Amino acid sequence: MEKIPQIVSQSVLKESAELPDDTPTIQGYDFNEGIDYNRILESYKTTGFQATNFGLAVEEINKMITWRLSDESIEDEKDEDYLAPEVRKRTKCKIFFGYTSNLISSGLREVIRYLVQHRMVDVVVSTAGGVEEDIIKCLGKTRLGDFKLSGKILREKGINRIGNLLVPNKNYCLFEDWIMPILDEMLDQQKAKGIVWSPSSMIRYFGEKINDEQSVLYWAYKNNIPIFCPALTDGSIGDMVFFHSYKNPGLIIDIAQDIRKINDESVSAKKSGMIILGGGLIKHHICNANLMRDGADFSVYINTANEFDGSDAGASPDEAISWGKIKHTASPVKVYADASLVFPLIVAQTFAKHVDIFKLDNFQNDSNKN
Amino acid sequence: MSLSIPKQASAFRKGGFIVLKGRPCKIVGMSTHKTGKHGHAKVTFTGIDIFTGNKIEEAISSTHNLEEPYVNRNEYALLSINDDGFISLISDAGETKEDLKLPANELGEKIKAAIDEGKELLAVVTSSMGEEQITDFKEDK
Repeated sequence: MEKIPQIVSQSVLKESAELPDDTPTIQGYDFNEGIDYNRILESYKTTGFQATNFGLAVEEINKMITWRLSDESIEDEKDEDYLAPEVRKRTKCKIFFGYTSNLISSGLREVIRYLVQHRMVDVVVSTAGGVEEDIIKCLGKTRLGDFKLSGKILREKGINRIGNLLVPNKNYCLFEDWIMPILDEMLDQQKAKGIVWSPSSMIRYFGEKINDEQSVLYWAYKNNIPIFCPALTDGSIGDMVFFHSYKNPGLIIDIAQDIRKINDESVSAKKSGMIILGGGLIKHHICNANLMRDGADFSVYINTANEFDGSDAGASPDEAISWGKIKHTASPVKVYADASLVFPLIVAQTFAKHVDIFKLDNFQNDSNKN
Repeated sequence: MSLSIPKQASAFRKGGFIVLKGRPCKIVGMSTHKTGKHGHAKVTFTGIDIFTGNKIEEAISSTHNLEEPYVNRNEYALLSINDDGFISLISDAGETKEDLKLPANELGEKIKAAIDEGKELLAVVTSSMGEEQITDFKEDK
């Protein structure tokens, strides 16, 4: 028999080092066991690729939900307001939650509303579209279209496309009719009472005025959850503010107030978590706020962006660690996926499973206030 | 006689007259916006108040009406400035007019300086929306 050349045996038949015993084994779901969605999703962690990242994201978010200050050693506590055991048991991780405009246009709006409705998140960051499309959905319908519809023909018909969703111009006319008198009221209050509006205080007022249980903004108002949006004018709201300035000039929107508020939210948190759907402003704004506390403790990114172009949208959690936006001791997760596909499933495995804890906490907090 | 007539917003033209926020203005800027993400189709106007020179802006749905003011301009020979600030004017037809004051602005100062130099002046009197004022002058040669 011919002998295998030494160079070949050395390279191909190289002996492997032993992996530690606790290294997970790759194993997917066996449908012979029936259709059990919970177990299918649990099997993701050992499936590999983004399925594994999905599983890790579920674990990371469950850590955000279940962490209590009482889990930490009291010896390290420097703040005397946090020495009492019942206070420590009540003190939770502050969850910063960000989402881009397209996700409010999509059906994720209902998932996001659920989180805000049950006070499952503490601080929200979105962009102008993420604010106005929530209101517009209370006034008119967003419809299903197709990615391939012709822009030219849609323009002629006065229909706007967001991926495979369609929003008729009529909805924006309804929005104009709704918001113009509110901008008048805001300017009146500025002139009469010296109120200086900020994006977050405007959004809160919108939430109060829309008064609709379908709305994210309504529940944020009701539950006192701030929604930050430093680029509030970058959308239809900006168009409205532009035209309003012709009719009734002088409205001031102060972003300085809001940067103070969001950074204070971060600095005052005993523990902080970030859940960021999509990239751009919402991702950086949350990370930047967490920089003020030397980094977030828990982090989950869900987006499709890549890092080769140096954009923050594509920046990995490890890049954020270099800036001090995420703690170097943390175990952040990035899921490379379309949030519309995975986020409802992540909520199913995290927040929705703990809904009773949230309801009880909210009930107790309300009772303490009264 | 009415002071103005209604006209559809989109029918106005740059250089024409328009009533913006109750003031008669000359249109120096006008742009139209089709229905879109910003809501209804609309027209934005930038006008200069023909009496005060102030800039006034307005945005309105294209199909809504705004008022177009009647604007009259007449020239009078300027006879004198009286001690009480009123001015004596006389028209081509020989009718005197003594109910206008010297405008309390840069124009008024220029008129006064020209009179003091002994120049013969023609005053341009503009009237619109029940207001009347000297809005320009030239040397009568």
